[in-house]
Amino acid sequence: MPKGLIHSKDDDVCVVTNDVKKGDEVICAYLENPSSYVIIKSEDDIPLGHKIALRDIKKGEKVLKYSRPIGVAISDIRKGEHVHTHNLKSLRWGKWQSQ
Amino acid sequence: MAVTIKGYIRENGAVGIRNHVLILPLDDLSNSAAVGVSKLIRGTTVIPHPYGRLQFGRDLDLFFHILAGTGANPNVAGVIIIGIEENWANKVADEIAKTGKPVEVFPIEGYGDLRTIERASRKALEMVQDASEKQRTEVDISSIVMSIKCGESDTTSGLASNPAVGVVVDRMVDQGATVMFGETSELTGAEDIVADKMATPELREKFMKIYKEYVDIIQREGVDLLGSQPTQGNIKGGLSTIEEKALGNIQKLGHRKVNCVLDYLDPLNKSKDGGTLCFVNTSSAGAEAVTLFAAKGSVIHLFTTGQGNVVGHPIIPVIKITANPKTASQMSEHIDVDVSDLLDLKISLEEAGERIYQYMLRVMNGRLTRAEVLQHDEFSPIKLYISA
Repeated sequence: MPKGLIHSKDDDVCVVTNDVKKGDEVICAYLENPSSYVIIKSEDDIPLGHKIALRDIKKGEKVLKYSRPIGVAISDIRKGEHVHTHNLKSLRWGKWQSQ
Repeated sequence: MAVTIKGYIRENGAVGIRNHVLILPLDDLSNSAAVGVSKLIRGTTVIPHPYGRLQFGRDLDLFFHILAGTGANPNVAGVIIIGIEENWANKVADEIAKTGKPVEVFPIEGYGDLRTIERASRKALEMVQDASEKQRTEVDISSIVMSIKCGESDTTSGLASNPAVGVVVDRMVDQGATVMFGETSELTGAEDIVADKMATPELREKFMKIYKEYVDIIQREGVDLLGSQPTQGNIKGGLSTIEEKALGNIQKLGHRKVNCVLDYLDPLNKSKDGGTLCFVNTSSAGAEAVTLFAAKGSVIHLFTTGQGNVVGHPIIPVIKITANPKTASQMSEHIDVDVSDLLDLKISLEEAGERIYQYMLRVMNGRLTRAEVLQHDEFSPIKLYISA
């Protein structure tokens, strides 16, 4: 079963540490306490190092990793979907980023 | 028990771990003659670059700072400077001479390339023979000045390789060594965390001023930086935004207070008692940052990578570390330390840090890094603006 890691318990995303295929179940362990984990069914093919959503995220919501905002969702993201530049944008460096 | 390494103690007491005789072109026009000397004289290290003509103001000061600092670096035994004209070359030579090491200037005007190559080669020959007699001696690890930076990062950097370097940074600072970090723009989204690490309100203020000035320059261009910062490689590796990249980046800073903040032209003053963790204003481009760290006195660099940055430096060993198992196998000739087993939680963070630390000690004692063997000799002075 593919694996992943979550930096912090508040996080909205898990980083997969293997290549993941759509339909795979991913065991995401918490870095702060690796014996605790959640299992997420992947909705996409997700390459090693990329992020999978741990919950449904609404368009306009901030996305947390390291329990800190890493950007804003620019479309609705369903639990299990690939989170990347197609649905997540920076909050920084000017208003051109907030489109 | 005090940890020691075998290094070269220079005339001014600074400790190096390499013993280069440097052929330093003062300007782009002098590259040919400088390379000519390096081809004739075995044991010399030449660092061609595209700058040094018609620069002015702060940009010129930074250029001199980088050239003089590179020559003054304790990994260098002696320096030959070749310049089209003598005046600027002498300025750099005078700075390097303050360290007490041998330095000689050879101007091209009035001689031409061929006679300059001959004159400089005769001197370089002597310097190489003299340098070959320098011995490594046992010195306390507190005398080491080092630097850290990541490049072509991906999410494995923030998960594993960067926090493992953080373990090494804590250990080096606790042993009284000096560690420099930078990457000013790449702290965006985590700059408040770095500001909170500052040991005094004055340092915090200086850091935030430098940070804001840098980001203002970027914002003035009014462009979307996606693809540049994060880079295409970062994005391929799963990093989506500058904030995510920055939060991964700062994992390598460890847990000690930052007790030194240096703008471009500020010299490093090694603290007499206790370790130093020092922020240096740098670009986030790998070769530019390593070049500036070396110019400020770093003698060894820890470089973490996710997707596989191949950077090296002509006079300081750059140790490449990755936690990405694909990069570790696909680009193995570039990777000195593989900590991808940390990504699978097969080893602890402490164990990964220990692996890097032990490897670093071997490199300090003389083992060549892969970048050194592969001749990755990137020397990239930062240029602040146009020439006149």
